[in-house]
Amino acid sequence: MSFLVSLLASEEGHLTYETHSWLLPETAEIIYGGLASVIVFAALGKFALPMFKKSLTARTERIQKEMDDAQAVRDTAEGEASRIRTALGDIQSERAKILAEADAQAAAVLSDGRARITAEAADLEAKADADIAAAAGRVNDELKSEIARLSSVAAERVVKAALNDAAQQDLIEGFINTVGAAR
Amino acid sequence: MSDATTNAYAKALADIAEAEGVLARVDAEFTAVAAAYESNDQLRSTIGDQAIPVERRQGIVEQLLAGKGAHPLTAQLLGMVIGAGRGRDLSAIASAIGNRNASSQGRAVAEVRSAVALSEDQQRRLGEQLAKAVGTEVNVKVIVDPSVVGGLVATVGDKVIDGSVRTKLDRVKARLS
Repeated sequence: MSFLVSLLASEEGHLTYETHSWLLPETAEIIYGGLASVIVFAALGKFALPMFKKSLTARTERIQKEMDDAQAVRDTAEGEASRIRTALGDIQSERAKILAEADAQAAAVLSDGRARITAEAADLEAKADADIAAAAGRVNDELKSEIARLSSVAAERVVKAALNDAAQQDLIEGFINTVGAAR
Repeated sequence: MSDATTNAYAKALADIAEAEGVLARVDAEFTAVAAAYESNDQLRSTIGDQAIPVERRQGIVEQLLAGKGAHPLTAQLLGMVIGAGRGRDLSAIASAIGNRNASSQGRAVAEVRSAVALSEDQQRRLGEQLAKAVGTEVNVKVIVDPSVVGGLVATVGDKVIDGSVRTKLDRVKARLS
């Protein structure tokens, strides 16, 4: 309105108006403006405020819900993390147990192997000793047998050579003279 | 040949000889032929060889007895044994006849093996000493067996009295081995 007044005033030589104030409106304007403002605010309070409150409540609920969901997800994640940590701990424990068992089995296998090798070596040594002793005994027996054979052959030859007629008769007479006491 | 067959032959021959009253003589002559048979490899192989005709083998035995005063029955019985193909069993048959003769006299047979022959006097004294050893009179039958080497081995029934050098040599050999 002030703009329109200023525009009209700039037209030189035409019509001149005087206003109450360049800043303050007219009373009627204040009244009508005030009423209009009241009506607008009343309408806003009547219709817009509940919708705003409802929207705000819904947003609050949505945010709360999102926060709850986030909390739930976090709880779930923390639970999962706890379970994973527990599982990881179990895995570490299982790993340590398996490694310990493997170490124990390896030590047992090594010990058994050493014991078996030691026993086998002892057996082989004993068998070799027995074989050597048997071979030595066999050679000794063969030698003794050969010596005995040669000795008996030699003895028989000597005896036969010594058995002349007189010796034969002596043996026969000796038998005759002693056989009577053989009963 | 089995013992039963040998004994059957021996019994038949001994019965004939006993019936003729010459069992002791036939026994002695059978023993002498058996000893010759045992000690002579050529005689043994000839008499025991079935491939040689019987007449020839009988002729060999007759030649063996010829000029030694053998009783004709002995030659006949020996010819019968050889003709029956029992030449290989001559020693066993002679032994069985000897047993029969000894038992008919209430005596035992002493089979004596020696490396050399024994004189009549040695056989008599040996018979006397063996009778003391076994407790009954014995008929001594000497078999010359060079494997005895020296000394004597006397067998009377189941009893063996061994004084041979062979056995002593075997003992030495056993002790050495």
